[in-house]
Amino acid sequence: MSKRAVDLIFSATYMLTDLRMILRETAPAHELDERQRAEVTRLLENLERQVGSLKQEMLK
Amino acid sequence: MKCGNGIEARQVNELFINIDPIQAGGRLTGDAIKAIIAYGDGYSVCDNCRKPNRLDCIAKPPIAEFHKDVAAWLNMDAARMMPGARRGFQAVAHTYVNRGDPVLVTSLSHYTEFLAVEGAGGVACEIPADERHLVTPDAAAAKIEEVVHKFKKAPVLALIDHVDYQYGNLHDVAGIAKVAHQYDVPVLCNGAYTVGTMPVDGRAIGADFVVGSGHKSMAAPAPSGVLAATAERAKEVFRTTTIEGDVTGRKFGIKEPEMMGCTLMGATLVGMMASFPHVRERVKHFDRELENNRVVTEALLSIDGTKILSEYPRKHTLTRVDTTGSFDKVAESHKKKGFYFSSALNDKGIFGLIPGATRVWKFNTYGMTAKQARYLADAFIAVAQENGVLVKS
Repeated sequence: MSKRAVDLIFSATYMLTDLRMILRETAPAHELDERQRAEVTRLLENLERQVGSLKQEMLK
Repeated sequence: MKCGNGIEARQVNELFINIDPIQAGGRLTGDAIKAIIAYGDGYSVCDNCRKPNRLDCIAKPPIAEFHKDVAAWLNMDAARMMPGARRGFQAVAHTYVNRGDPVLVTSLSHYTEFLAVEGAGGVACEIPADERHLVTPDAAAAKIEEVVHKFKKAPVLALIDHVDYQYGNLHDVAGIAKVAHQYDVPVLCNGAYTVGTMPVDGRAIGADFVVGSGHKSMAAPAPSGVLAATAERAKEVFRTTTIEGDVTGRKFGIKEPEMMGCTLMGATLVGMMASFPHVRERVKHFDRELENNRVVTEALLSIDGTKILSEYPRKHTLTRVDTTGSFDKVAESHKKKGFYFSSALNDKGIFGLIPGATRVWKFNTYGMTAKQARYLADAFIAVAQENGVLVKS
């Protein structure tokens, strides 16, 4: 296993935390405004990339 | 969803608007959650602990710098992080109070201030709040005179709440400190509800000590808090150990007895540290918090029979309300009795009201977005209308 895998895990967890914070600030209805929607899109795309890299790193 | 060992994953703040009066200011920032993920292991902050081997001297992570920053932010000379505000009261009481000594508290003081006095063997002497539920300098002066007459000496310490937990009222601690200092009484300002939510300047207040609560008002995990002191008082409460083992001759360096050596370690401390830049910034915008509170209190006041028991207009977001004449009347005939109220609010995504409470209760709007405050205001009105309570336009 590598330092890169560990970094990817933290990075992905932190992106999930950012998503969690958006859920908190929009509770209870979780209706996202334009800015929040853009932020969620960015975070989810990054997260997918991080998870893809993590898969490669940990299963190589 | 379980965390492990039968522990349900807590999702209150993701699923609800949380109006619990003691929880609002302690909700974590995203950075605090991230820091906790990285530093959850027991002695995690101690990886780089070097001589002189004391928590507040650790440079990596920047704990030493954080301590200095917090002291400067409160306009005090020294600070130590504590496992809760109560441990700050305890350290100060233990330093100044001997058996039988009179100590000033107030009729609105938190119970932990009483326990700190009791633990040190002191006698609690309450300054009574007036009919507005405010503790005034005049009342403090009268109480000190009463104490001097009864005990033949002045109180050895005064523990004064900046904002009290019962009404959320803002008290004139600066005025009280001025009076207390005329009798050489050191003053501890209990900022459990203010340090981290609104600007607090210890020197302007004239406090010898400022105590804050991390988990109440500094977006930090429990138990966490801060004890800040003037340089003069720091020498006393943060004095270093002098004890020596009679067999081994061991000494313990610069450890501080009142702190029991090191105080906050691991997740609690890094949580406080990670939130600190956000906390320092958010106190500058307390006006927005009061505006959110105004939206909610005005909605409540539009509900016939509802009273705000806290000082009004509000100077803090923790608010005590009396709905004996409104929501409690519904409870008399509702099939769920008083539980209908919290149940109806829960159904609308609002958490934090004590189940069954329909008479006198408290809420806190701190940390809400304007949209959430409007939603909460509308929810109170909707519950009233759904239950036939008149709402004034």
